[in-house]
Amino acid sequence: MNREFWSAFASNRGAVIGLVFLVLIIIVAASAHLIYPVSPWSMGNPPFQPPLAGGPFLGTDTLGRDVAAGVVHGARVSLLIGLVSSLAALLIGVTLGAVAGYFGGWVDDAIMRFTELFQTIPNFVLAVVLVAIFTPSIGSLVAAIAIVSWPPLARLTRGEFLSLRSREFVLAAVTTGQSTPHIILREILPNSLSPIIVAASLTVATAILLESALSFLGLGDPNVMSWGYQIGAARTVIRQAWWMSFFPGIAILITVLAINLVGEGLNDALNPKLARKGRG
Amino acid sequence: MAAPVVELSGLSVALPAGAERPLAVEDVSFTVEAGEILCVVGESGSGKSMIAHAIMGLLPAPHVRVSGGQARLQGEDLLAMSPRRQRAVRGTGMGMIFQEPMTSLNPLMRVGDQIDETLRLHTPLSPRERVERVIELLDDVGLPNPRELRRSYPFSLSGGQRQRVMIAIALAVEPALLIADEPTTALDVTTQKQILDLIAAMQKRSGMGVIFITHDFGVVAEIADSVAVMQDGRCVEYGSAEQVLNKPRHAYTRELIRAVPHDIIYRPDFDPGAEPGILQAEGVRKVFHVGGGMFRKGRELVAADDVSLDIHRGETVGVVGESGSGKSTLGRCIVGLHRADGGQILFRDHDLARLSRRQFRPIRRHVQMVFQDPYASLNPRYRVADIIAQGPVAFGTPRAEARARAEELLELVGLDASAARRYPHQFSGGQRQRISIARALALDPDLLIADEPVSALDVSVQTQVLRLLDEIRRRLGLAMLFITHDLRVAAQVCDRIAVMKEGRIVELGTCREVFGAPKHEYTRTLLDAIPGKDWEIRPETWDDPDPDTPAR
Repeated sequence: MNREFWSAFASNRGAVIGLVFLVLIIIVAASAHLIYPVSPWSMGNPPFQPPLAGGPFLGTDTLGRDVAAGVVHGARVSLLIGLVSSLAALLIGVTLGAVAGYFGGWVDDAIMRFTELFQTIPNFVLAVVLVAIFTPSIGSLVAAIAIVSWPPLARLTRGEFLSLRSREFVLAAVTTGQSTPHIILREILPNSLSPIIVAASLTVATAILLESALSFLGLGDPNVMSWGYQIGAARTVIRQAWWMSFFPGIAILITVLAINLVGEGLNDALNPKLARKGRG
Repeated sequence: MAAPVVELSGLSVALPAGAERPLAVEDVSFTVEAGEILCVVGESGSGKSMIAHAIMGLLPAPHVRVSGGQARLQGEDLLAMSPRRQRAVRGTGMGMIFQEPMTSLNPLMRVGDQIDETLRLHTPLSPRERVERVIELLDDVGLPNPRELRRSYPFSLSGGQRQRVMIAIALAVEPALLIADEPTTALDVTTQKQILDLIAAMQKRSGMGVIFITHDFGVVAEIADSVAVMQDGRCVEYGSAEQVLNKPRHAYTRELIRAVPHDIIYRPDFDPGAEPGILQAEGVRKVFHVGGGMFRKGRELVAADDVSLDIHRGETVGVVGESGSGKSTLGRCIVGLHRADGGQILFRDHDLARLSRRQFRPIRRHVQMVFQDPYASLNPRYRVADIIAQGPVAFGTPRAEARARAEELLELVGLDASAARRYPHQFSGGQRQRISIARALALDPDLLIADEPVSALDVSVQTQVLRLLDEIRRRLGLAMLFITHDLRVAAQVCDRIAVMKEGRIVELGTCREVFGAPKHEYTRTLLDAIPGKDWEIRPETWDDPDPDTPAR
């Protein structure tokens, strides 16, 4: 299965490029303290230095902080929040979706109405409110992002479970006396995983964007450097000092694009029925 | 003499590299004259549909393409013509009916408009004339109230009615050739008979040539003038219906014809003795609630109503009925997938109709089920050994022991023990059904419910699986409830037969009674609708002994 998976993934060139970029970003994030051992908050340079002007590589911001150091250290926060909050959203969404889809009836009704409650409130507004209530910190950011991103995953999982639970191999598992948790976890879940993985990879990208947007509004964790914070802090001087918001912005763009490309490649590789048609 | 309607000479169709064989169709030649029905018979994967698609120009280019030979429609080369000409010919020279009436009509268009579309494109008729023609066509194919029916959408029609609409579309411009690709396979027997009669009548009236693709020799016997038998892309026998059906020459044809469930062998009547039935169902009722929600009441659908039957140890009881008759519902109530709403199902001193899912669990090991679709009933992610062992493991057998037992069971159902380490997708449909049977046997059940276990299989495989089920039942002394839509199949394995219609058992009797002297009107209709019932298969009258190539 593995070789097939990789060859299908590799046949989508965009996905491979995305994966290369993603790996690079992860390496940079992991070795941030080696590349820039000094804290990204340190104001050791003259302010308003443009990039490649003899000072720090990408220039300095309004307080003389190194923009490049901020981008490199910000990668950590962005990826960390993106991944952890997506995992949390996955946990909530898949659990609720699986229970709703498998049991159906009033359980399904109740869970889906609860899900709709979250879907009717605009994502971002809810996230802002939650972070504001819990006071900004990494933990509350992760929680807020997870809480606003699980409903689509729950719906997707529910749909998969609904269509799989009446399949004959599931009925066969029932008639051979399998326990309900066994049927949900071992029989149905593995067969519904592919679209969930694809959707989750895209959730990571959305989570990174959400985090940036929250930090931009000043709702980020004040103790960690992040891309959104950099852009937010530089927005008032965007016409005099473009580089302060440009480079973190590019970092967000590349990261989100890379993750989206990888997600699409996963889709091709995991749902071969859909993808192979046009390509042959 | 005019050119024949269709003339194929040496037609070959190539498959893309990496397919199971290089050619889907290899060097096939036949002709169809006006007024002739040619049946192309073969099992799944024999390339019979590919021929139809090649003639219609429907091959999925560029992966699958004609690689050699010629196909002529009334003398005109179909393979060399321009796409524009091909389109014109498709509309006026030939029409096609597909297998799945549920999906071959556009669900968002009124049926009248779908017929009208063909007329608009290919005839010079005025709008008013076209309306008249649509009504005439709907009337011709035997649909009631054509004036109103013209305005209805496909979803409100039954499968048979939709197939009639498809026929009306195909015949709208009076083509010289009609290609029917398994048009009755998805239909009930009684509907199948009506559609076959309709095709034969239309063909007689207009004198067109018909290519009828089917896997069912009964259907062939019913309508064919000539027959082409396909095996692995080659036409192994081609001749008049009379010759192929009654004096088959090729070993493969003979094998197929022998596999047709034909003579109804009356088994000795089953003697239950004094013992009461192992399963006694009385007045079972099951109602489904369709639609509806929190604030809305849905429709009620009575799937089973006052159904009573009993099964004795060592006996096979058949439940026969058309789709929607409630036969599967009955099976699922007994095996605990549905909970009956009324009546009682007595089994081992328990009333299964009253047990909750949790209370049912200890009983599951005694009632097992074999499912219809061998492609959907095995979890694709597990090895065969784990699939078979899952039941015993759930009931506490150590995993290693259960796996060893799985290998024994595989041998019991006629597979190699090495199959245990492979995944379901590496097996054919018949082999998968054997795995499915092994899984059901792994728990040593007393009662086996077989829900259409052979209806998804080719005839030759069908016989093998039926024989296996019968042998296992005899060897292990099982009681079996055999659910099927096919009376011919029921006749092969059942001791007693219950005929179901609209949720009720209308007739219940021994095989001899039901087939020999059917009491209920509906049973007679069903028996009458069996395709090819007048055709007697008598291998002893076949000329020479089997040719040197022995059957598999």
